[in-house]
Amino acid sequence: MTKTTRRNFLKGTAAAGTIAAFGGQAPFFKKALGQGKKSVVWGQTEPFTSSWDPSSHTILAQIYFDYDVFGQLIRTPMSQAQPDEIVYEMATSQNVVEDGWLEYTLRKDITFHRGQPFTAHDVKATFEYASNPERPSGTWYPGQAEVQVVDDYTCRVRGEGGSYPGSLFWFLAGFLPILSKDDIETKAIDEFPNGSGSYKFISRDGPTTILNANPDYVLGSPEIEEVVYQFVPDASTRLVSLISGELDIIERVEPEQYETLLEENVTTSRTVSTENKYLHFRCYEPPFDDVRLRHAAAHAIDRDLILELMGPAGHPTVGQLSSAKFGYTDTIPNSPEYNPERCQELLAEAGYPGGDGLPPIEYLTSQGFYPKTKEYGEVITALLQEQGFPVEFTVMEVASWIERVFVRDETAPQLADTGWMTGSPEPNLVLRPMWHSDGLILTNCGSDTVDAAIEKQQTITDVDARRASIQNELMPALADHLPSFGLFTSVLIHAHHPAIEGIYFLPNGPVDKVNATLKS
Amino acid sequence: MAFVLTFLIRRLAQGVVIVLLVTFLIFTLLRVIPGDPVRIMLGPATTQAVVEARAQELGLRDSIPEQFVRYIAKAVQGDFGESYFIGETGIALTAQNVVGGKGQDTATEQREAKMTRAGVLKVIADGLPYTLMLAGMGLLFTLLMAVPLGIAAGLNQEKWQDRLAFFIGSVFISLPNFWLALVLILLITARAGLLPSIGYKGFGYVILPAIVLAVELAPIIIRGLSMSIAQALQAGYVSGGIVRGLPWRQIIVRHVLRNSSIPMLNLFGVQIGGLLLGGVFVTEFVFDYPGVGRSTVQAVLQRDFPVIQGVAILAASILVLANIMVDLASTFIDRRLKF
Repeated sequence: MTKTTRRNFLKGTAAAGTIAAFGGQAPFFKKALGQGKKSVVWGQTEPFTSSWDPSSHTILAQIYFDYDVFGQLIRTPMSQAQPDEIVYEMATSQNVVEDGWLEYTLRKDITFHRGQPFTAHDVKATFEYASNPERPSGTWYPGQAEVQVVDDYTCRVRGEGGSYPGSLFWFLAGFLPILSKDDIETKAIDEFPNGSGSYKFISRDGPTTILNANPDYVLGSPEIEEVVYQFVPDASTRLVSLISGELDIIERVEPEQYETLLEENVTTSRTVSTENKYLHFRCYEPPFDDVRLRHAAAHAIDRDLILELMGPAGHPTVGQLSSAKFGYTDTIPNSPEYNPERCQELLAEAGYPGGDGLPPIEYLTSQGFYPKTKEYGEVITALLQEQGFPVEFTVMEVASWIERVFVRDETAPQLADTGWMTGSPEPNLVLRPMWHSDGLILTNCGSDTVDAAIEKQQTITDVDARRASIQNELMPALADHLPSFGLFTSVLIHAHHPAIEGIYFLPNGPVDKVNATLKS
Repeated sequence: MAFVLTFLIRRLAQGVVIVLLVTFLIFTLLRVIPGDPVRIMLGPATTQAVVEARAQELGLRDSIPEQFVRYIAKAVQGDFGESYFIGETGIALTAQNVVGGKGQDTATEQREAKMTRAGVLKVIADGLPYTLMLAGMGLLFTLLMAVPLGIAAGLNQEKWQDRLAFFIGSVFISLPNFWLALVLILLITARAGLLPSIGYKGFGYVILPAIVLAVELAPIIIRGLSMSIAQALQAGYVSGGIVRGLPWRQIIVRHVLRNSSIPMLNLFGVQIGGLLLGGVFVTEFVFDYPGVGRSTVQAVLQRDFPVIQGVAILAASILVLANIMVDLASTFIDRRLKF
């Protein structure tokens, strides 16, 4: 009989530990993927709201959910190769017709998840409901829409009373979940997400929401049978959950985490997003009401340094729009570049040589939502201070930051960091809230030229002519007036289980799983 | 008995005042610090006009005293409001497909989720069993680690047991709980696959978070216990017991441990209660554990006022009650104590 010595005991426990670590599955474990059903678990970063109505919010996490559950007339994949590509889903065509109407021909074989047949009356109800400026979603659309039902499967849209051309929905219809008329009228949409998209809503239990594949989906039933949205708020927890197999897909991977994940048995993906990150100027109050100082600040910033810091999460930008947007151009001759000498000249011209006499300038950023804001904020602060700008850097948690950035009064900081992620190639989703006088954010340079250029491109119904107007008139006007300085384009970093193939990451965050497969 | 009744009435009355004051403080602070829940609720792109309209609808633009009086008037009737963000999935029945069910073998109903805003009491009630389970396991692990070490250290001052307890306590107290949590998740869950840790799908999911809690709490118990035993050993009744020929074990168990348990009870009531609440919140958030703590951290980040207020009342009430119980228990252990 073997005597139990201290050495034998240690040997035994070490062996048991090794077997447990690398051997079979521990009894408590329930892995996310591979439990018989073709199911994937998505690590959701923000919670859903308490309403399923897509027009009741502008929350990114729920926009992802809406993408899966609700059908749309068209889809806009926004690939780098073809940012303006349109894939028809509930519609079969869209054409500009007389009097500013945009005419849709609709499919006849679609039913909502609860069984109601889809007709032009649903389109009319949805467009008029969602574009109502009093709805939270109203902000996405150019104003109250008016829809004319030609027959059950043909309808026309434009601004109410012809206030804007229907062609503004050319891309925007790809960011408008279609609801059933009945659900809108009875307000049932608040309580149940009755869409016609690729996945059907099954249940929501606390942080867990379950969807099942819609076998009748018009573009083909997805092979992945079940999608679980699991709200996991902490980024590090999401990462280790992916490595341990408790989550299958995660988003908003931090740049440092990306390097770690490259060494793990997971698949990573980088997607150039629709979001540019900006340094916004509070243009309606001193000192940045002087356009020379805005240019001086822009010339002080070395974007290469910021890109180096961002690593895999950053992509170069020239102007105000991401390359995933319609109207993007990388040729804006008057766009300011890093040039300390020019910065000093402009400071002197504005009456502040070397920054002397400038009042204290607050530069506000957030922490906890966008990657590395604090780190590159410190770089920008140092670069501005180097040129004589007396910048004080403030970092706030998201809830506090958001309140100060979305105001246009004297409480707004002089400089602020934001991004602007939108779910369509439509550039107006960025242009109006950011830089028009009636916009949302603290910029507001009050420039008639900028306002006029934004409004002009909205009225152009021809796609190529509109693109030219944005590239040749609006972008240079923005570079001249510079209400904001584009720092870089965000790159969305996702990671997923290697068994998942064929998923498509949209540049605004949703994941298209219609053509995805699970390798055994 | 009369003393107990008087004691309870007096302390509970004081407790109500304390809870009211805490509620008012939290209520006011939430509305003074930056961060508008309506902006977060509707999303960043919503126009200011829509934000204001919704804020008016929720009564958030009324004066703070007005809002507070309205809140308390409802709270005393058991209505703590509804979360701004958390949806409650109820069940609606519609006559469509067949599902079997208890007593409904031939029922022709389809269960369908129907969402409304979740009541604060429901949010707390849903999370509380998980939090209590975690706190209970955390305390169990804490006692399993701390009691033998603390007693050994107290009985053997300046010896290796004392130094070992001091060393372990120092290491444990230096480990930030969120860091330890992530390291454990990475090593035990992700690398070794020994225990699960994210969310909750069974009892196994409690073990790692409970260990993190225990590591945070153990140093205080170890130190408190060793100090109070060491002090008790200096008391006259110990040398008196030795002179009277009482066995050493009897002196320790009957006299030293009993007397040193009073400061330990106070430690439990005040420090452990507070630490446990704070520790549970962080631990639940990192482990994505579905207790009250995770909901609270999320509520703070989103400015979900009703949930924060509800949890504040709950936490204040627990601490007040814990202190009352500790004081009452102390008077039973040592009749000389009067609170």
